[in-house]
Amino acid sequence: MREFLLLIRSEESPKANLSPEQMQQHIEKVGGYLQRLTEEGKMKSAQPLEMEGTMLSYQNGKIIDGPYNETKEIISGYYHLLANDMEEAVAIAKQDPRFEEGIWRVEVRPIKRVEGIN
Amino acid sequence: MDESLENSGNTLTSHFFRTEYGKLVAVISRYLGNHHVETAEDIVQETMLRATSHWEMNGVPDNPKAWLYTTAKNLSLNTIKRGKYQRDYAAKNSLKPNLESAVPFSEELIADSQLRMMFCCCHPSVSENSQIALVLKILSGFSIQEIAHAFFSNTETINKRLVRGRKQLRQVSLELVNEKVINQRLDAVLKTIYLLFNEGYFPSSKNEIIRFDLCLEAIRLAQLLQESKSVQLKTDLHSLLALMYFNVSRFNSRVSKDGKVLDLKEQDRSLWDENSIQTGMQYLEEVTQSHKISKYALLATISAHHCAAPTYEQTKWNDILGLYDQLLSLEQSPIVALNRAVVLSEVEGATKAIEALEVLASQSDIGQYYMYPFTLGELYKRNQEWDKALEAYQNAQRLTANPRDKELLSKKIQDLVPNLPSQLS
Repeated sequence: MREFLLLIRSEESPKANLSPEQMQQHIEKVGGYLQRLTEEGKMKSAQPLEMEGTMLSYQNGKIIDGPYNETKEIISGYYHLLANDMEEAVAIAKQDPRFEEGIWRVEVRPIKRVEGIN
Repeated sequence: MDESLENSGNTLTSHFFRTEYGKLVAVISRYLGNHHVETAEDIVQETMLRATSHWEMNGVPDNPKAWLYTTAKNLSLNTIKRGKYQRDYAAKNSLKPNLESAVPFSEELIADSQLRMMFCCCHPSVSENSQIALVLKILSGFSIQEIAHAFFSNTETINKRLVRGRKQLRQVSLELVNEKVINQRLDAVLKTIYLLFNEGYFPSSKNEIIRFDLCLEAIRLAQLLQESKSVQLKTDLHSLLALMYFNVSRFNSRVSKDGKVLDLKEQDRSLWDENSIQTGMQYLEEVTQSHKISKYALLATISAHHCAAPTYEQTKWNDILGLYDQLLSLEQSPIVALNRAVVLSEVEGATKAIEALEVLASQSDIGQYYMYPFTLGELYKRNQEWDKALEAYQNAQRLTANPRDKELLSKKIQDLVPNLPSQLS
């Protein structure tokens, strides 16, 4: 088993345009998907991120605010999951029901493993 | 297992978000003042959005209502603190509790706020079109798109109605709704609920699910009135509830599996919902005891006759005809007279009904309403006068702008074709 970090990216908030009824359907669909993966032991953690935050960088010997991304794209949540290989992780990501309703992007990244350390 | 995923077993009752949206907007509007209903809607939308982001990942909490109410309260307090709404918030002389200590909002506060909002949305200064749109948007949590979808309209039209309605709504104070106002304006509110129900009930093969929701919403709003102690005379309300329950019992039998709209004659009566019919009968029972004759009571009794008839042929058409005569004596409505003609055709035959319709058209401008030639077409068809039926259907098609009706008529015309004299022979 390998560990993967799935970064959920979106522009602004695709959910903001959903009606209350559609929001409920969204919760039921995505919630059901995550619950199934959790029961199968594949989902270690899934968390939403606040739409605000700050970016720090180290420049010229000091820590400064920014630079901030020019794009509107923001990481709005992440999944930490277990899968046999990249192929399976991608297959799992493709099943995420949020793709049915808006402009979401999910980045699938294997967590680096160095033999003998982790 | 990650602890955040532990409580994902909770589920939401159906339409939870939609219903809670309406409750919260009504309550928060009272704190912000009637000038700021839109701000209240924004706050509730943001509340729902936060809930969605949190619950999709962490599961639905044990007490989702409390979660929503606390979030909505905090967002409202932040908005009030920003000053703009301070005056409206401070100008409170009513019995509502302080917002800080009102959470969890009590059932009484919610019901009272929804009732006030309902009577404001149905204020005589708001046009009928806008009333229905406002009720659906504010009290029922439908999006503009969903309203447009259910009404076979577009988002611009619905938006215009809402903008106009909101402008009027700002002039109407939520706090001025009292028992006197409620009982004076009950008729207007019942009428809006009835129109809302009918909008959902019109048969069509499209958008069935959302329009069924519209019917259920009309019933929910009527139930709010039914549960209120402020409403004194409930006879008309009970009649309307009976009527809606009878009609909604037939909802699922009106469209065939291949999408064809079925009339009473063609419907599979075993699909009619027995529970709804029983509930309707209970409400009608209370009306009968009051011995008050009203439009809704007569319509409900007519609908009850249909529900009780084991087959179309065994329907008590004579009794129904008598009820239509009573309806006409209450209100000289050409539309009621039009429906009466259909019943007359079952009692005395299509020819008699056609004659009655021709008299009706000479006395009113009903001929301009597409349902008039539509009904004529049905009667001619029954008499196997195919050419006349075709002409009537075509007239009907010309008189309606609604794509739903045009489509239904196209089907009717298509069904006639095999009977028409061939153009080639």
